[in-house]
Amino acid sequence: MAARFSQDLKAEPNLTPILDLVFQLITFFLLVINFKSAEMDLSLKLPVIGSARPVETHGQRGLLVLNIDNAGDLKIYGRPIKNIEGYIRNEAQASMLQNRMTPADLEAGEELPTTIVIRADRTTPFRMINRVIRACQDNGFRNFALKAVNKET
Amino acid sequence: MRKRKRRKRHSQSEVELNLAAMLDLAFQLLAFFILTFRPAPIEGQISLRLPLPQATAVVEDGQQAGEDYNDTNPIQGLNTLTISVIADPKTGNISSLGIGESQVPSLAALDGRLKEVFSDAGNPFDQVILQVSDSCRYDELMKVIDVCTHQRLPDGRKLSKLSFVGLPDG
Repeated sequence: MAARFSQDLKAEPNLTPILDLVFQLITFFLLVINFKSAEMDLSLKLPVIGSARPVETHGQRGLLVLNIDNAGDLKIYGRPIKNIEGYIRNEAQASMLQNRMTPADLEAGEELPTTIVIRADRTTPFRMINRVIRACQDNGFRNFALKAVNKET
Repeated sequence: MRKRKRRKRHSQSEVELNLAAMLDLAFQLLAFFILTFRPAPIEGQISLRLPLPQATAVVEDGQQAGEDYNDTNPIQGLNTLTISVIADPKTGNISSLGIGESQVPSLAALDGRLKEVFSDAGNPFDQVILQVSDSCRYDELMKVIDVCTHQRLPDGRKLSKLSFVGLPDG
């Protein structure tokens, strides 16, 4: 009789509060998640410049983030790019298509509105960075943002 | 009377949602967000406008002054100030700095000289060419860029037009 009584009695916890809590946590993570950080190579040690200002992306029509490690390799979304000039040429063509421009516009003195964001390791020699900058300039990019940190992390 | 009985029956039968399945899903979502969460680092930037470097003298080989009638801007390139950044090839640290032909001993001195140059209302310069040793480290170069971008032109705008030229080591 006692055994039957215990079988009939089901313990049903009230899951509603825990579900509320979990949904609140999910909402928090959804709000703070930053998919843009995937394009940054967080292993790079950026130079320390006290006057470097946080990124202001208001009004900027496009950003192209280029990570350059201390060996001078260009990395995009963690993937090393061997043909740097070819990659930048493709990006320039994509930017031209997006902004309805033609190579003739560039020759006429117009420039691509995309801003090149350079995240380079602090020990990278200038030769490597200049190669990337020159490739960008040759393809019509003129606006650059050089990343740095305000203080040592 | 019949209607009242029916209503009572309906109110007694409670709809119970099975929340366990939804909770499982929510926990899975939560686990995904916790595992993929990486707070973005707070980074600053120096915004620059980098036109292609142009020669400070635009006379072609064999050309005489005033020979090219189509050249409407014979002093093109003369509004560019040249700064040399020479680095030690072994360490990549800056070993000497110069403005035009003259040497400056330190970054502070460079800052002072640039302030002098740009505070003069009659100065023709509105852009800077940085001649940098190929081996110069990026953080050393950024110090020079930082000094340059702090300068204000006579019209109040910040100096942001820079160009880079690489200097081979040795």
